[in-house]
Amino acid sequence: MKHTFSTPHRAALAACMVAGLVLAPLAQAAGNRGGGHGGGVHAGGGARGNAQVNHSRADVRTNNVRSTSVNNVNVNKNVNVNVSNNRGCCNNGWDNDYHPVATAAAVTATVAVTSAVIGSIVRVPPPGCVPVNYGGYVYQQCGSTWYQPQGGQYVVIAPPY
Amino acid sequence: MTRRLLLLGLLGLSLGAPAAYAQTAPANPVDPASVQALKDMGAQLQALKRFRVTTDLSGERVLADGQKLTHSATATMDVARPDRLRATMRSPRSQRVLYFDGTNATLYTPALKVYSTVELNDSLAGLVEKLENRFGIEVPLADLFVWGTPDAPLDKIESAMNAGQDFIGDELCDHYAFRQGNVDWQIWISTGAKPLPRKVVITNRADEARPQSVSLISWNLKPSFNDAVFRFVPPQGATQAQILAPKTK
Repeated sequence: MKHTFSTPHRAALAACMVAGLVLAPLAQAAGNRGGGHGGGVHAGGGARGNAQVNHSRADVRTNNVRSTSVNNVNVNKNVNVNVSNNRGCCNNGWDNDYHPVATAAAVTATVAVTSAVIGSIVRVPPPGCVPVNYGGYVYQQCGSTWYQPQGGQYVVIAPPY
Repeated sequence: MTRRLLLLGLLGLSLGAPAAYAQTAPANPVDPASVQALKDMGAQLQALKRFRVTTDLSGERVLADGQKLTHSATATMDVARPDRLRATMRSPRSQRVLYFDGTNATLYTPALKVYSTVELNDSLAGLVEKLENRFGIEVPLADLFVWGTPDAPLDKIESAMNAGQDFIGDELCDHYAFRQGNVDWQIWISTGAKPLPRKVVITNRADEARPQSVSLISWNLKPSFNDAVFRFVPPQGATQAQILAPKTK
């Protein structure tokens, strides 16, 4: 039988993180969910279109993308000044639907303490969340807390706003 | 007499040699023929009325210490000029479909059954520009709708060169390399009857790790889709999400 971490286990972990790391750098908070704590994501069906990606075993360092790492996938967007490229959200191209938790954290860490810890994972977002489309990707927004769908679960990200 | 001729010959050789072997940089770093190739390709792209194009993309992101990670994505686009498009984008975390029927643009995420629609009366170039500037949404292979239009000016290119020829798949292509601002880019254009792009590489020089993207492009110029594919009809149980304008830095 495959062992997975139960939801209570994760909740306890999240509570721990809330208590201990409220003002800690968010990259570090994200780091605390590394090390395999996010197990139990369903792998989904075999067909390519249905298979779900499981990022739970990804090293936390993969989140630490530096700000100069702009992903250029279209020439004209990046070379022609009449096409602005000054948005706060969207240097990831269409291909990289990766939310830079740690990078955004550097900006937002001093601003506000959100009710859920960045990087914590829930199976279902709390009631009252609404889906929003930001930068082309769907998130669940619950007040100042943002959840990013990920492999059938939801991970709390640094709010883009 | 013979000796003098020989001497002259040697002199000629020594004078001629530098010219023959002088692979010094040309006076004009912008090779006009390479820019013309872009123009021809742009004209060809704008002349295509109905096509399916697919791309396989590898992109890079740079971690704090300079280590690079490569990710992959694919997109298939059905296009009917001047103002119809359906793009299916697949990347590790999501599959998304962009529908554009000339009046409305809808972005749908099938796994979540969530869609967002905005009214947009425009051409494909306008769609690309407005999605980007209003909503921070980048369209795959957006360049295909911009090359050959005023939004892709070619007079700002700082360096252009012919880099020889290369095969992309089975197709012989001309390979060109350009520099502009912090971006180096290369393109492989088919030498066949229709000069279409088959590969694009973009290198970001603003980061010393020089992250790069590689897009391989395949064409179907006799596609079988009909116009119904461009209209979004919400599936049962789908919910609508507000689309947020990105915060300006």
